[in-house]
Amino acid sequence: MSAPFESVGRRVPRIESREKVEGRAQYIADLYRTGMLHGAILQSPFAHARIRGYDLTGALAMPGVHAIVTGDDFAQSNRMGAFIKDEHALAKDKVRYVGEPVAAVAADTEAIARAAAQAIRVAYEELPVLLTPEQALASGVHIHEGVEGYFKVLDAGSRGNLCSRTEFAEGDIERGFGESDLVFEHHYETQAQAHVALEPCGALVEVDPQGRLTIWSANQSVFRVQACVAEALGLPMTRIRCLTPRIGGAFGNKMEPHVQPIVAALALKARRTVKLVLTREEDFEMVRARHPFKVRVKTGVNRDGTFVAREVEVLLDCGAFADDSPGVLGYSLLCARGPYRFAHARCHGRLVYTNKLRFGAFRGFGNPQVSFAGESQIDDIAEQLGMDPIELRLKNILRGDDRALGGQMLSSNGLKECVERVRDASGWARSTQASRSSRSTEDSGGGGAPLPSAPGKKRALGFALCGHISGLLASGAIVRMLEDGTVVLNVGANDIGQGSDTVLSQICAEALKIPLENVVFVSPDTDGSPFNWGTTASRVTFMTGRAVIGAAAEVEKQLKQQASEMLECAVEDLELVSGGAVAVKGVADKKIGFFEIAKRSHWFAGGPIIGSHTWVYDRPTVDPKRAAVIGLPFPRIGAYSFSASVVDVEVDEVTGAAQVKRAWSACDVGRAINPLLVEGQIEGGLAQGIGYALVEEMVWDGARLANPTLMDYKIPTTGEVPYELHSIIVESQDADGPFGAKGVGEVCLVPVPAAIGNAVRRATGVRLFKLPLTAERILRATLGKT
Amino acid sequence: MNTGLFRPASVSEALALLARLPEARIIAGGASLVAMINARLVDPEALVSLARIDELKEIIETPGGGFRIGAMVRHRAVAAEVRFGGTLAVVQMAAAQIANATVRNMGTIGGAVAHADPGLDYPPALVAAGATIEIAAEGGRRRMSAQEFFVDWYATALQPGEMVCAVHLPAPRPGAGLYHKLARVSGDYATASVALTMVGEDAAILTRAVIGGCGPTPLMIDEANRLLSGQPSAQNLRRAGDLLQAAADPVDDVRGSAEYRRMLIPRMLARAFDEARVRAAASS
Amino acid sequence: MSDSLHVEIKVNDSPVALDVPLTETLLTSLRDRLQLTGAKRGCNQGVCGACTVMVDGVAVRACLSLTANCEGQSVLTIEGAGNDRAIAALQDAFIEAAALQCGFCTPGQLIAARALLEHNASPSVEDVSKGMSGNLCRCTGYNKIIDAVRMAARRLQP
Repeated sequence: MSAPFESVGRRVPRIESREKVEGRAQYIADLYRTGMLHGAILQSPFAHARIRGYDLTGALAMPGVHAIVTGDDFAQSNRMGAFIKDEHALAKDKVRYVGEPVAAVAADTEAIARAAAQAIRVAYEELPVLLTPEQALASGVHIHEGVEGYFKVLDAGSRGNLCSRTEFAEGDIERGFGESDLVFEHHYETQAQAHVALEPCGALVEVDPQGRLTIWSANQSVFRVQACVAEALGLPMTRIRCLTPRIGGAFGNKMEPHVQPIVAALALKARRTVKLVLTREEDFEMVRARHPFKVRVKTGVNRDGTFVAREVEVLLDCGAFADDSPGVLGYSLLCARGPYRFAHARCHGRLVYTNKLRFGAFRGFGNPQVSFAGESQIDDIAEQLGMDPIELRLKNILRGDDRALGGQMLSSNGLKECVERVRDASGWARSTQASRSSRSTEDSGGGGAPLPSAPGKKRALGFALCGHISGLLASGAIVRMLEDGTVVLNVGANDIGQGSDTVLSQICAEALKIPLENVVFVSPDTDGSPFNWGTTASRVTFMTGRAVIGAAAEVEKQLKQQASEMLECAVEDLELVSGGAVAVKGVADKKIGFFEIAKRSHWFAGGPIIGSHTWVYDRPTVDPKRAAVIGLPFPRIGAYSFSASVVDVEVDEVTGAAQVKRAWSACDVGRAINPLLVEGQIEGGLAQGIGYALVEEMVWDGARLANPTLMDYKIPTTGEVPYELHSIIVESQDADGPFGAKGVGEVCLVPVPAAIGNAVRRATGVRLFKLPLTAERILRATLGKT
Repeated sequence: MNTGLFRPASVSEALALLARLPEARIIAGGASLVAMINARLVDPEALVSLARIDELKEIIETPGGGFRIGAMVRHRAVAAEVRFGGTLAVVQMAAAQIANATVRNMGTIGGAVAHADPGLDYPPALVAAGATIEIAAEGGRRRMSAQEFFVDWYATALQPGEMVCAVHLPAPRPGAGLYHKLARVSGDYATASVALTMVGEDAAILTRAVIGGCGPTPLMIDEANRLLSGQPSAQNLRRAGDLLQAAADPVDDVRGSAEYRRMLIPRMLARAFDEARVRAAASS
Repeated sequence: MSDSLHVEIKVNDSPVALDVPLTETLLTSLRDRLQLTGAKRGCNQGVCGACTVMVDGVAVRACLSLTANCEGQSVLTIEGAGNDRAIAALQDAFIEAAALQCGFCTPGQLIAARALLEHNASPSVEDVSKGMSGNLCRCTGYNKIIDAVRMAARRLQP
């Protein structure tokens, strides 16, 4: 492209900003229908029990109750699940976690619905409770007794309480360790993190006289909602229409179903519209969270710092249902080696059912967990080798024709630039120069490290990097020209707050060389929108953006065909010019505007201009000549983005509390379609990473979640996120991305916890192997207590 | 009528209502009570609002230079009270660290004190300041030290039919008053806190140190205060910390373990003490 | 459920008469009875700040306010902010600075910011950070919110 971009690269505010600042944006809780009923859910008090029967008489007798559904209302075969179909809409035959939805009521008011739900009597027969993966693996009691027979989209190897297992192998790991000068092995542990999108989950379902459902819900994919409700209720998809209001954040919590199938069942039974929005407590207890991981990392290196072999073994707590977990297992192992050259690698792991709420997709999808482990260890290796941790990494990071684990070729690679830019911007070299001159471990916090802000504090910089994939599965786009030459963009991709409505509109506007205002973005609707797997996996800019470009190319073809007839010249002689017109190349005043072309197409010849494009990411993730893989849930994923992060962390010696004072985060996004929104992702990802690293932890008291409230589960406030946060956008021009763009949504979070852990180590001399790095854990470690 | 919202114009009217409706609850700022209502922990049929009672709404100077803080005074007002200098800064600092600006607009000192949650910021600060609580009953008013007022987890010395009218602070003395709080994030309840006042008298000092968040009530030990007063040696400082640590009765909760809280006590005490020394010296 | 109480308040300058149960919160009344859904329910415990509105000129949590206890008071929600110069400046600044992403916390942020600017017309970064610590945001990481508030403050200076 010789002419400068007009939309791409512009810092455009979100196109829906005005309604959001005026409080007129409609989220699911803001939707009301005359005569609608309210839903309420009865949750299981037990972690593992057979359901022996229901007594609904008391509840049904309550005035204002219109319908009650239980597991009996769902057929045995109607199970949902993204990878393994193991889940009914409501607990059927047994309950598997405290808080699991058991029954639901639709009534005139929420108060009546809740009271009626509490009046439902359920007879339970308790079963032994399995709260850890180790316990579950050792037990003869099976949480899913039919797991071998469940439908699966992958070779999961499910057996007993083992939900799935995955393995990658390249080279010969034992030989690799044998050839290494030094071998390091450490164990790490990460915690369950709750998404805490500010908006709790909810749904509103209408049913028309033909029994067709219209489902509004807070969701990351209208198509996943449609598919799951279809499965759960045993309905053809033609009977289900899914739409989306504004979504108040998601981060993975709303990618798979929450209450939609339940509310749909209530609506069908009551033959009325039903609305149900979860309380914050219910959202914590009932929906999903980030997987706790146990990670063993064994790395072999040579004395000169060359990486030779890496083995990573993970054990995932699946919770009671598979949900996205087999994907998280597979994906985390794909990332576990890190974006480095290792001649030998073996990444393997298991996913195990337990009697806790299901764990599922959460920004990073397993990569934050394995990166915490792998990047922490590399710093310790650097220290043992007497090398600077960044220099050690630069020596080994993927470059040129290097492949990702599995053998995938990289369509772009800005990792080195990310590393160098945060290194230079943070003054890393200055901070380590002085510390190198005094090598004693007592002085690990002193030297040229950033100065502590007060006596009694220790302070240091910490570094980590990562790669993360944007892509996966399918997206489509339809671009239609209206009679006046303006354009409708229809993509089926939900904007969950990250700004995709705006970015996709910018891509469309750029592709057609029209002003952004001439593009109208259509809200996703399964009736009218082309399939988009979902807003997840950092994929929308890359996957849906490509579809938009393809659809715009079709529109361009049709425009040129019309114009060639109108201008009586060959199609090859025409080009799009800025402002919405087709012109003869090199003859600027011989042109026809879109307005004219649209009129002709509608009223004279050719027909309305419609362009569409659809694709599934098509580069293979695994090259079977290079890697052996078992149980990988997806054969083709996407393009790698990269990120490097330096954080400046200060630890209070009295309390152990760590605080991030400054941060630098460089993300290779291929091309920033909208740098303003990319910064927003980088800053938000850093904040969520700080929460994950220092503060957030779901705590179980036996089988019961002990902190399902915002009083007890804390996320970062303004006080925990540094104002001095430098976002650095690296553009490596991805060969496959729309205008070279790839994703940023997750890569910006992944390295942050490891960077913080490394900073704590460098500031205090102690290495923590378990997240979160709470004040208590840091203090205990500095005092030599475990 | 036995149900509904009552808005008496005086303390005696309020007490009469409470006597007549034993199931009624007082609503002050509402922050704690309404949160409990929303969580379906309580479902009161009658509420007695203190919003119209003028004598509860002000901070007034009392003879002798002390202050009477009406029960309905919001945290925001106490946090901004420039007259709470010297040793009384402990109360101002505690109020300023409660929750966040919006909640400080709503919460009241009377409500906080009556709620007696050990994670709150006011209780240790009021004990350190030597505050007294003014309690009204139908038979008359009485005063009680803050230390005696906080009895147990969410329990105070209030008898049925009684209400907190005011918190009295002695006159501020030159020296230092400070409140240090360790919390997981800004605005959280205290994992542990230290409230400390220090008065300089010639070369010697008079110190009151109170530990919060480490037991059912704010923890102050006379012997520890004695060790921290006079011309304390490093050894005395350590012994004071040990005494408080040994006497603490913290719990394990999501903010921290009991053991961690015990570890924090002497460490946070030492830091608070050192800072108070510097401030007290600077102010004399 | 207890008997309904008759309550007369002002909402966005208009007198409103409601009959509510004793324990109904202002948040519920605003949303379900008056269709003023700008104030959001994020936690119902007063922690998240998404329900922040102004009552008699003071920023409060609507989820912790009982409607019956607001008799005679004047409520301002984001929907009523149309003619408020400070909120208008904040709204423009929030848009320009991308201080919103999903937008769920935004009405509460704007009300809290307006309250802050009333007390401090020239806040520093630290002033804004401290003053807005009670409004949680999970999307932005806060810095663009801080920038937007200070941008609005500068523009509101005479």
